[in-house]
Amino acid sequence: MNAFEYRTPRALDEALAILEEFGEDARAVAGGTALVTMMRQRLVRPTCVVSLRDVAGLGRIEATNGVVRLGALVTHRDAEVSPLLRERLPVLAETFRRVATVRIRHMATVGGALAHADPNQDPPVTLLALGARVEIQRVGGQRELPLEAFFRDYYETALEPGELITGVSVPLLPAATGASFVKFLPRSADDYATVAVAAVVTLEPDGERCREARIALGSVAVTPLRARAAEAALAGERLDRRVLRATGEAARSEVDPLTDHRGSAAYKREMTAVMVGRALTQAWDVARRATR
Amino acid sequence: MTRMIRLRVNGAVHEVEVPSYRTLLDCLRNDLGLTGSKEGCGVGVCGACTVLLDGKMISSCIALAVFADGREVTTVEGLAEDERLHPVQQAFMDLGGFQCGICTPGQVVAAKALLDSTPNPSEAEIREWMLGNLCRCTGYYKIVESIQAAAQEARP
Amino acid sequence: MALRIVGQPIGRLDGVDKVSGSARYSADVTLPGLVWGKALRSPLPHARIVRIDTSNARALPGVLAVLTARDLPDVLVGRRMFDMPMLARDRVRFIGEKVAVVAAVDPDIAEEATALIDVEYEDLPAIVDLVAAVEPGAPVVHANPGAYEGAPAERPHPNVQSVLRFKLGDVEAGFREADRIFEHTFRTQLAHHGYIEPHAGVVAIDEDGRVQVWASNKMPYRLKELLSHALQLPKERIRVNLTPIGGDFGGKGSLMDLPLAYHLARVTGRPVKMVMRYAEELMAGNPRHPSVITLRTGVKNDGTIVARQVKALFNSGAYAAFKPAPSVNLGGAGMGAGVYRIPHLLIESLCVYTNNIPCGHARSPGEPQMVFAGESHMDMIATELGLDPAEFRRRNLLQDGDHLANGHHLEHVRAKETLEAALEASHWSAPKAPGIGRGVAMTHRHIGVGFTNARVRLETKGTVTLLIGLPDTGTGAHLVLRQIVAELLDLSLDEVQVELVTTDVFETDSGVGGSRVTHTGGRAAYHATEKLKELIAAEAKKLGAPDASLATIAQAAAREGRTLEASYFYDAKAHAAVTSFTAQVAEVAVDPATGQVTVRHFTTTHDVGTVINPLGHQGQIEGGLIQGFGYALMEEMPTEDGRISTLNLGDFKLPTVGDIPPLTTVLLEDPVGPGPFRAKAIGEGSISAVAPAIANAVADACGVRIMDLPITAEKVYWALREQERRS
Repeated sequence: MNAFEYRTPRALDEALAILEEFGEDARAVAGGTALVTMMRQRLVRPTCVVSLRDVAGLGRIEATNGVVRLGALVTHRDAEVSPLLRERLPVLAETFRRVATVRIRHMATVGGALAHADPNQDPPVTLLALGARVEIQRVGGQRELPLEAFFRDYYETALEPGELITGVSVPLLPAATGASFVKFLPRSADDYATVAVAAVVTLEPDGERCREARIALGSVAVTPLRARAAEAALAGERLDRRVLRATGEAARSEVDPLTDHRGSAAYKREMTAVMVGRALTQAWDVARRATR
Repeated sequence: MTRMIRLRVNGAVHEVEVPSYRTLLDCLRNDLGLTGSKEGCGVGVCGACTVLLDGKMISSCIALAVFADGREVTTVEGLAEDERLHPVQQAFMDLGGFQCGICTPGQVVAAKALLDSTPNPSEAEIREWMLGNLCRCTGYYKIVESIQAAAQEARP
Repeated sequence: MALRIVGQPIGRLDGVDKVSGSARYSADVTLPGLVWGKALRSPLPHARIVRIDTSNARALPGVLAVLTARDLPDVLVGRRMFDMPMLARDRVRFIGEKVAVVAAVDPDIAEEATALIDVEYEDLPAIVDLVAAVEPGAPVVHANPGAYEGAPAERPHPNVQSVLRFKLGDVEAGFREADRIFEHTFRTQLAHHGYIEPHAGVVAIDEDGRVQVWASNKMPYRLKELLSHALQLPKERIRVNLTPIGGDFGGKGSLMDLPLAYHLARVTGRPVKMVMRYAEELMAGNPRHPSVITLRTGVKNDGTIVARQVKALFNSGAYAAFKPAPSVNLGGAGMGAGVYRIPHLLIESLCVYTNNIPCGHARSPGEPQMVFAGESHMDMIATELGLDPAEFRRRNLLQDGDHLANGHHLEHVRAKETLEAALEASHWSAPKAPGIGRGVAMTHRHIGVGFTNARVRLETKGTVTLLIGLPDTGTGAHLVLRQIVAELLDLSLDEVQVELVTTDVFETDSGVGGSRVTHTGGRAAYHATEKLKELIAAEAKKLGAPDASLATIAQAAAREGRTLEASYFYDAKAHAAVTSFTAQVAEVAVDPATGQVTVRHFTTTHDVGTVINPLGHQGQIEGGLIQGFGYALMEEMPTEDGRISTLNLGDFKLPTVGDIPPLTTVLLEDPVGPGPFRAKAIGEGSISAVAPAIANAVADACGVRIMDLPITAEKVYWALREQERRS
């Protein structure tokens, strides 16, 4: 690794001020699992590293007004075991649990993962399906974005120099809704997904037809994405094999995977259809049970 | 650009001046002479570098030493108490939970952390917790058996 | 004879250092004034070095030395064939070849410095494809390989390092006798050993001018010889200090970076430590050879095999330097005949030069490749003949008195018993649900040979010390040796200690590997102990106290200035007339929607000799088996234009604890081995048949035959879709 200046602000505005000062020469670090690995491989060489580890107030998980808010410094492990999250948004707690190994989850943070924008990560997929919003702050300002607008390209986000993610807010599930997360791992139990799918299905009060579906896909494009054509194929339908197939086909047509060690682009396309079917079946089951 | 950090390792306080780029693993091994923790893959995957930071197991090869400033680190050297091996260490010896031993410090630190948080883990819980501790010698069967035995042993 | 300690599943009492973190591996060794070495490696597969500018690297604060080939004597290194420069001299031949080396005060600065070395290259045509490399007109990797020291004479093509043949009868005549002939070609992948400890070494030149070495190398005496050759120093000037090794699996027998550490030590006047990063291991760590293997087998209508011809190409990469066998080839090629009586046999194995990573030995060298091909081929033939795969094998198994093509003659053959035990334990004939399949595969592995020196010394407190120069690679061999000595002297295990000596003690030792240590180390310890027993008896007689305690006897001798000790040099020149059979059955489920293969159960049966330590023995079986499992299903290092794309353990997947299948082990103990107490060997018995057992099970489950490793879900998926399309 290169030599660099290391700063340890204790408050958010101090951190933001340093980031503004150094601009593109500075990187923020929280858990370090991504940044330190990249620095060891000499892929990034910042002049200044700003640690957020001592910044107060960014580590809470709370629920208010039908929204769960995770502070940017909440670790994956915190989210995985959070009683609040397990009760109110179990699909999200479960998704955090699927990330890498416990060691990584003890360090890697919610905000850090989003800022890193690796399209093979799991939490962004579920967060996307749940309609999450990202809170961003800079010196003298703040803004909020839907997560869909946050991921721009391969490892690229809407963050401008000097900006930090401060939290993620996730609406609770409406009534008659079931959610699922499927991570397809054909190679090893510890791996990035070949394909990941998060499905959120809301049924009509009769528990028969789909009122709204939200399907998000991971590892099948340069960013995680909402499978809008697939969602449209479900709207108003009963879940049967024809509908599942049509939805899977629609999802398959929306992806543009990269060939990597976890599968060729062509295979990932095929598996998109299969895993969308599985995620939907699971979500639908949960939703149906919720309507009884 | 060096920084003076103060960390408590296995109960003893150390003050050491480190360059910012120093990993926690290199600090433990080279600055503090605690060579029990090993560098294997260097990317946080294999677990040979597992230590506890404030009681939580982490990959020390991808943690900066400065992360441990003012904090508590537990390494394999800190598991035994007054010459008495931790039940996990004893179980690994009794049941063949190690062969070449290079992954063993990481395995026993991770297993100790598991039993601290879950004294009676199921086999599935053991496998999930230990997923990130690779071993190339044993095939894992005797590692799982060792941890199960240690859990049994530690139960009053 | 009832045994007291031999045969007991004694735990790893010798492991306190390992579980407590106080064991010092090579990377843990530190000396006053130590500096760190780091290599710069070639980014191109084949190129001429035009110019190297080290000035910026030298100028970096903390850098003590930068060396290129120009600073070193023009010596080529190797293990049997010496074709590799210590640093690339005028050209590089693979991505990862060392071009320069730096010494600095800390490893980060050393690494930063390597990035400041400016090298100008001129591309040369590279040959990376194994099959194309031996076609006429292929770019040549070495201009004149025959001129290298140790080069075998036969060279059908300039890119052939060596040819190894196994022959029985007359294969052409055999094929004429056949009713049907089958031919299949299989491919296996590049795979690193996956030891968790990367190569590491410390070299220091002491005040007496002796070269002190600590290295992750499992044959320290051979290392001393090779260093003497590479450094052009007399052997006596070099001392290898044994350190425990963090996993060998065949990969830690070469010089690796040690000559460079020496030259850096010489130039800086400081001890030098060099530790490979795992990316360097995956780029240059002498992994298992990829292969293309074609088998052609002639059978009679009743399923008897009459002839087999095997052509194997092994992708050895840019240098032959990492292969230790006198043939400079892979002895495992002999497994092309499998566990079968084949009267007419011709196996031809070619190790081929390409501009790829140089490969070396890996657990059961050449065998996982050959056995995957051979045992898959057997099942494919069985299917064509309409025979149950187990039955087809039964009709052709080796029997007592048979001769193998490598010259071994076999007695106490229990191939059939081993097979039957596997079939029974795996419920071979039980009904299967759709999507479930079972596959069987067999192999055999001889007991390794080599030579070892051992000395046993009676201490004045009545304990015994076994001195030996075999390093600890983790197998538990030293505990086995203690058990042998304790058994013979009627001592408790606590009363026998092992002292690992440096290479200053004893003349030689063939080191660890090839499943030989229980045999060679064991026999050396055994016979040395028998000699000691005689000395003790004589001493007791002299004292007139035949029942005197060992302490009394030792003290009596000590009063006369004598120490009771006995040495023995055991040289197992020839292989024993026994082998060890393995039969394995995999039961798998194939998910038709994704092609994902799940091994629901794995059964492994072994024809073994006396088992000296059942705990350690089982550990070797389980470890080898899971390596075979990873090789079968997930390990691969995709390479394009000579560039390996899996340069970390996140991309090159090794099995985790979450991946292992439920396992049943069955042992058939037959005390007929050449080892102490009639022991055989086990280290390499469980790895080779795993992949074909799984491939055969997949074929049984869904009709898909995967002929190139690893068996990935994707391969099965496309094959299933193709199968659907055709039907």
